[in-house]
Amino acid sequence: MELLQAFGIDYKILLAQLVNFAILFFVLYKVGYKPIFTFLEDRKRKIASGITMAEKAEAQLRAADAEKSAIIIDAKKEANTIITKAHELAEQGKEEKVKQAKDEIAAIIAKEREKIVAEKTQTLKEVKAEIADVIALALEKITGEKMDSEKDKAMIADMIRHK
Amino acid sequence: MELEISIAPDVLFYIGSFPMTNSLLWSLFISAFLISIAFLVRFSLKTIPGTLQNCAEILVEEGFSFVRSVIGTEEKAKKVFPLFATLFLFILAANVFTYVPGQSAVTLYNEGGAGTPLFRAALADYSMVLVLTLISVFVVQIVAVMMHGPFGYLGKFLNFQSPLKFFLGLMNIVGELAKVLSLSFRLFGNIFAGEVLGAVILFLVPFIAPLPFMFLGVMTAIVQAFVFSTLTLVFITLASEIEADELVEQASM
Repeated sequence: MELLQAFGIDYKILLAQLVNFAILFFVLYKVGYKPIFTFLEDRKRKIASGITMAEKAEAQLRAADAEKSAIIIDAKKEANTIITKAHELAEQGKEEKVKQAKDEIAAIIAKEREKIVAEKTQTLKEVKAEIADVIALALEKITGEKMDSEKDKAMIADMIRHK
Repeated sequence: MELEISIAPDVLFYIGSFPMTNSLLWSLFISAFLISIAFLVRFSLKTIPGTLQNCAEILVEEGFSFVRSVIGTEEKAKKVFPLFATLFLFILAANVFTYVPGQSAVTLYNEGGAGTPLFRAALADYSMVLVLTLISVFVVQIVAVMMHGPFGYLGKFLNFQSPLKFFLGLMNIVGELAKVLSLSFRLFGNIFAGEVLGAVILFLVPFIAPLPFMFLGVMTAIVQAFVFSTLTLVFITLASEIEADELVEQASM
């Protein structure tokens, strides 16, 4: 007992120290360790989810890039086919047009030719009729007699036939 | 001026019949300090940490990983960590605060004219150290009983299978008691000796000469805080492990 007194050990002080430490322990546990642990856990989770999200986003970006280039290649191919088709169509159209034009021209030429031929025959007929009249007049003057029309016509016809 | 060295802390005043000693006052102050720091950290937790939060996080995280590396599993570490950390922080704060300049010069004079220093290193009071040690040893016993069952644990000390085992059981009892003494006197001795040494050197050569001893004292303060809490941790770890032969015994039961 003397030893205990020499060290200043008193059960009241022991109790006080115990209570003191218990309070310290409890408060540090409630206020210190527990919230810090949950906080650290939370942040760890947040960071992990952020990293996975970033990875996902990167993968998506890469996929989108690949898709984009695929689309561009497709589009180029399609454009090429369209252009070649258009070229073909244009060529075809041109040929057709030329052909049509030629045909039209040929048709016009043929019509004109017909017209010319018809005019020519008409003119010839008219010229012939006129010549007959002129000749009849001339003959009248030469023969001095007025030929009746029947005689006259028969004579002219005869002359023309024997010319 | 005379050199006063007392193993027992000095009583400052009485509250009723309760003696308020200077070391108790000091330990209350340190508890209040730690609690206020904890509150400060708690209510300023941010995703992007400041300096204080960084320190707290490092302390908690590194301390926890140390506890886990010693005790083995995360589950056990979570249970032991608060005790480990509180012991460490309290002892560290109590020891380091001793080196706040000027605090040892504050003296309270009572009517008789005899001066008692207002502050005394909390762990230079054997009752404080004893309380910490008893807590530590008590927790170890509880863990052991929980792991082995009350009778299994008693069987470790009272074994009548053979004279040799009986003797070893008695040795175990001695070992458990020795734990209390070795744990408490290691801490108390180191801190008290540091205090006394500092006082003596300060008494003999007031300038410069105490400095190396103070450096040593600061080192001791940190090392002893670590040693005490780690020994507690190791004792708990040992108590929480089931030995192989015991497993065989349990299986055969």
